[in-house]
Amino acid sequence: MPSTILIVDDSATILMSMEAILHKAGFTVAKAASGEDAATQLTGGLKPQLIITDIHMPGMSGIDLIRKVRTMSGLQFLPILVVTTESQQAKRDEARAAKATGWLVKPVQPDDLLKVVKQILPNG
Amino acid sequence: MTTPSASAAGTLHGTTERVALLRIAVAASVFAGSGAAATMAVGGELATVLMVSGLSAAGVAIGYLLGRRDGLTPRAVRLLLFRVSDELAQYRAFTRLLRDQGERITASTSAAAIGIVNGLTEMDSDLARLRTAIDRAAPGNATELKALADAVGSPIVSLLGQLQFQDLTQQQIDFLARLSLIVDQHMIDLAQRLGDRRSMDRTENFKEMFNKALDDCVMTSQRDDHHAAAGLDVHETSGPKVELF
Repeated sequence: MPSTILIVDDSATILMSMEAILHKAGFTVAKAASGEDAATQLTGGLKPQLIITDIHMPGMSGIDLIRKVRTMSGLQFLPILVVTTESQQAKRDEARAAKATGWLVKPVQPDDLLKVVKQILPNG
Repeated sequence: MTTPSASAAGTLHGTTERVALLRIAVAASVFAGSGAAATMAVGGELATVLMVSGLSAAGVAIGYLLGRRDGLTPRAVRLLLFRVSDELAQYRAFTRLLRDQGERITASTSAAAIGIVNGLTEMDSDLARLRTAIDRAAPGNATELKALADAVGSPIVSLLGQLQFQDLTQQQIDFLARLSLIVDQHMIDLAQRLGDRRSMDRTENFKEMFNKALDDCVMTSQRDDHHAAAGLDVHETSGPKVELF
């Protein structure tokens, strides 16, 4: 059974292109256009094996989402990758402190993305 | 270190424009009854606003009018100040136009990018079906056809990745819109200052507002551009593009 990856980004282009890339690589993809939407899906029973989230989103930011997920039952250790245009070390440290799993700066080459995803989900 | 005002003034192309902006500075100071330091501050800020707005021609016209203040009655001087104040307020129409254009650009690139993602995804599915059909029609054979189908499909993932450009340019244009709002607000403040001397202390310095915009720069390239515009030769280093904590 393929792993499910939840992508969280307010950009429709990013959501669709990442979905296509990950789907082609054999993953099941769920999408959320905001941090709130992602949190709702997770509390509603979605059980992804990995979350990939943007940082800068209207409303709940990616960092806030990570903090919220870490308080959810059973999701304390769920891998969460941050994919963002943000390049400041302070933000990177903030994500690390919120217990993000990794950090990728956009634009991300599909090969780099898949390499990291497969490191985290070796069984696909 | 070069201040933003000095940097903006340094980009002036014509002596006439420099003279005109100097006239604004002098005139604003005289009319406000302030000293030399305030002269430089007001003049520099006006110059910056006009330059940032790309409205140096209007600056020349206003400078010309203000330069002819000798012999004007106090009423005429007040009218001129109101005129300058009114012009400043009207410049906001230009910055608003810039923002509207930015929104149109991002909307059209977003629609195009989504169309391209859909097209590429469909092509990828069709190629997968073609490969299956070839396999079914000639099991174990037609390797050349299968290789051709694979070759046609191989750039698709890379193209999907390149479509991230749309998100990046949207964020860059959003940032420019936020900068123009800062200029907008400053023009309002300056217009109020021209009409109400008591507002002097309440008006935030343009340099401070400009520096605050650095907080909105999320990309290294944006931060480098901001430093350059502020006259600083600073190139920030960002961490690795991919990092597992």
